[in-house]
Amino acid sequence: MADAITVTKVFDLKGLACPMPVVKVSKGIKEVQVGEVIEAHTTDPGALTDFPAWANTSGNKIVKTDQDGDVIKFYIERVV
Amino acid sequence: MDEKTRDDLLQLFRSKFNRAMRFYLESCTRCGTCTDACHVYASTGQTKYIAAYRHELIRRLYKRYFKARGHLWPSLGEARELTDATIEELYEAAYSCTGCRRCMVYCPFGIDTQMLMSIAKLLLIGKGAEPEILTLLADTSIEKGKSMELFKEGFLTGIKRLEAEVVKQWQTEAGEAAIPVDVEGADLLYVALAGAHSIIPAAAVFNAAGEKWTLSFFEAVNFGAFVGDPSKTKLILDRIVNEAKRLKVKEVCVCECGTAYRVMKYLSGSQPFKVTSITEAHARYLKEGRIRLDKTKFPGPITYHDPCQIARNAGVIDEARYIIGHLTDDFREMTTDARYNWCCGGGGGLVALGDETLDFRMKSSRVKVDQVKATGATILSTACENCHTQLSNLNDHYKMEVDVQFLSSMVARALVPA
Repeated sequence: MADAITVTKVFDLKGLACPMPVVKVSKGIKEVQVGEVIEAHTTDPGALTDFPAWANTSGNKIVKTDQDGDVIKFYIERVV
Repeated sequence: MDEKTRDDLLQLFRSKFNRAMRFYLESCTRCGTCTDACHVYASTGQTKYIAAYRHELIRRLYKRYFKARGHLWPSLGEARELTDATIEELYEAAYSCTGCRRCMVYCPFGIDTQMLMSIAKLLLIGKGAEPEILTLLADTSIEKGKSMELFKEGFLTGIKRLEAEVVKQWQTEAGEAAIPVDVEGADLLYVALAGAHSIIPAAAVFNAAGEKWTLSFFEAVNFGAFVGDPSKTKLILDRIVNEAKRLKVKEVCVCECGTAYRVMKYLSGSQPFKVTSITEAHARYLKEGRIRLDKTKFPGPITYHDPCQIARNAGVIDEARYIIGHLTDDFREMTTDARYNWCCGGGGGLVALGDETLDFRMKSSRVKVDQVKATGATILSTACENCHTQLSNLNDHYKMEVDVQFLSSMVARALVPA
C-alpha cells in the first residue's frame, strides 16, 4: 500500500515525453540515500515499460505502481 | 593515462578504420570552406567549433599513432599524444557537434564530420567518459528487447489508454482496433516513440488511409547511435528488425525521429521489408487519394524545419512540402535549398541530455532562430522529436512567437472524414 511506503522525495514529471522521465528519475534517485524511496509522477504512457526496464538496468527497484487517471505514479527504492 | 588504457583506446580507434574513414583522415586541405557551415560556429564565432578544427583533434591522433612519421618523430609535425586532456577536448568536440552534416555538403572532399566524431565518441566510451545517461538509456532500450514478455503487459496497458483517445477524436471502423498490436501479416509496422503524441495522430492517419498496420512494441529512438556505440546501436536496431521479420510486414515506417529513421534506413542492411518515414507514408496516402486534408485548419503562414537526419542525410525533402501543400496556400521556405538548411542544434544526443545542454543549445542555434523569424511564419512545423523539443526551447528562449507543430499531428488534425 502506498501509505505504508515512506517517500523521501517526489518528482513531478507530468507532461514530459520520453526520454525525459527516465533521465530525471535516473538523476533524481541519486538525490536520496540507498534504501530510501522516491515517488515519480508521469503522464507518459511509455513509462509503463521504460521505468521497469530502467530499474532492471540500473539495479534499482520499483516497489509499487499506481495509476490515477492519466497520471502514473512510481515508487522507486534506491538499491545501488 | 596509463599505457594499457591508451593501447585499448587505440584499438578502438583502429576498429573504426575503413576506406571512407581513411579518406576522411587523409584528405583535409584546410581550405576553410567548412568554416561558416557549422551552426555552432556561425552562432558563437568560436574557432573550436569549425568542422576542420574538430577533424584535426582526431587527425593529429591518427598522425601520432597510425602514421610512420608520428611513430618515428612524434615531436615533429602535427602529431598529438592521447592524454586525459585530449579526452576532455574530444568530449567537447563530439558533444558540441549535432552530426547534422551541413559541413559535409560544403566540403569539396565530402569529409564526414559525424564519422570522425564517431571515433571521438568511441574513445570516450572506452575511457568511461561518455555521458552516462545516454549509455543508461541505450541499456534500458536493450533490456526491453531482451525481456519483451516482462514488459508486454505494461505496454498493452499504456496502449489501451491511448486507444480511447484515438476513437474519441477520429472514429474508426466498428470492430477494428484503433491501435493494432502484434498483428502478423500486417503490411506496415509502425515504430513510434513512447509518447502519446507519437502514437495517437499516427493511428488516426493509418486508420483513415485504410492501412493494414501494427504498432511496434519498441520505441524508435536509438540511444546507442547517440552515444556512438556500434554494438548497442545494432542491438537496439535488431529488436525492431526481428519484430518486423516475425510479423512478416512489408514496410517498417519510422515515426518522426530523425536518428531512428536514418539508422533503420541505412544500418539495417538488406531486409525483406522497405523502410519509410511517416512523412513519406503520409505523402503517399495523399497522392493515392487515401486521405484528404482540410486547408482551413491551420490559418496563417507555415514554415518547415528540415530535420537533418531525415532531409539532408536521408533525402526526404519533397514529401514534406507535398504534405504542406495540402495544409496551406501560404508556405514559407526557410532556405532556397533544403539540403543547406541550418540544423536546429538539438541532435547528436544533446536534447536527450536535457537541462545540462540547454544553455549551449540556445547559444549555438541563433542562426536557426534568425532563419525562422525571417520567414514571418506563425506555424513552425517539423518531423523530428529532437528538432521539435529544441525548436520549442528556442521558441521560449528567443520569443520567436511561433506555434511549433509536428507535421504528422497537423495531418491528423486536418483529416477530412471519409
